[in-house]
Amino acid sequence: MGGFRFDRLKILVVDDNQHMRKLVVAILQAFGVIQIYEAADGERAWKFFVDVNPDIILLDWQMTGMTGLEFVKTARTSPDSPNPFVAIIMLTGHTHIDHVRLARDSGANEFLAKPVSVKAILSRLTAVIEHPRQFIRTKTYFGPCRRRRPIDDYHGPERRNAADVALIDDTAGNRA
Amino acid sequence: MPNDNDVQIIAPTNTLKAKLGTAACSLDPEAIKRAEAAMTKLKVEFSDWIVKDIAHLLEASAAFAAERTTEKADILFRAAHDLKGQATTFEYPMIARVAGSLAKLMDELQTREAAPLPLVEAHVDAIRVIHRDKIKDASDLTALTLAEELEARVRITLARASQGR
Repeated sequence: MGGFRFDRLKILVVDDNQHMRKLVVAILQAFGVIQIYEAADGERAWKFFVDVNPDIILLDWQMTGMTGLEFVKTARTSPDSPNPFVAIIMLTGHTHIDHVRLARDSGANEFLAKPVSVKAILSRLTAVIEHPRQFIRTKTYFGPCRRRRPIDDYHGPERRNAADVALIDDTAGNRA
Repeated sequence: MPNDNDVQIIAPTNTLKAKLGTAACSLDPEAIKRAEAAMTKLKVEFSDWIVKDIAHLLEASAAFAAERTTEKADILFRAAHDLKGQATTFEYPMIARVAGSLAKLMDELQTREAAPLPLVEAHVDAIRVIHRDKIKDASDLTALTLAEELEARVRITLARASQGR
């Protein structure tokens, strides 16, 4: 049974530790990804992002210079961003729930705690491909919906008023 | 006029799915096998990689001991944080645990450079011992005792620092 055509993807791997990059790249290559770009810091990652416009970014949190969180926020909100909707998987040694919330609040699509495994990487890739979340724009946030379940699932008292919500179909390629 | 509760929900086109095709089974078992094999192949390099990561930690620790600045503390924190994330993959789970304790100490103090040097060095020494003795078993008694003692001292240090704020 065949899987996804990973050979059609462009993936940017950003980590300041060369061993972690090598490990992640080896796993991606085994999945069949051919177009892999590597960056050791946020600044070089941004250059690749603008030049190559990758489909998915696997991004380390802790880096010198621009951190992973700063990169995500810039990718989502900068007028120079080539794709504010780009799928970003935050890769990190942080495991505390507060850090997961911070990554989520910065606009990362998925969070992958180290140590990495083949199955964990594949499950996050599958999540961004198969179950992309809707994007939310408020005065203070732009990024994937931070609720895990579809918005329509919830009907409790804190549910946003329908009048406050505008649903925009991005089939025309809306820009952030 | 927009109010604070205004929210737009945008449904971006699923370009990834369109690009990758509608696979009957996205989790190709062959791809997983290939990736597991790639990891196994890389294992011969893991021993070399952990040596380099520990050497980097030792250098960072020595630099921090010589000059307790924010910059040196940040470098040491990242070296510990890297080991926390990677050492298990490199078959040294107890190094990951001790490095995690060091990273926690540095990250949860008001400033990373406030980390007490003797406690920093105790962590670094423990990591060196675990590696020197090739302790790869997460239930090894010596390594467990070391890790638990260090974690307890970190808890006490953080509690004291928190009371002093």
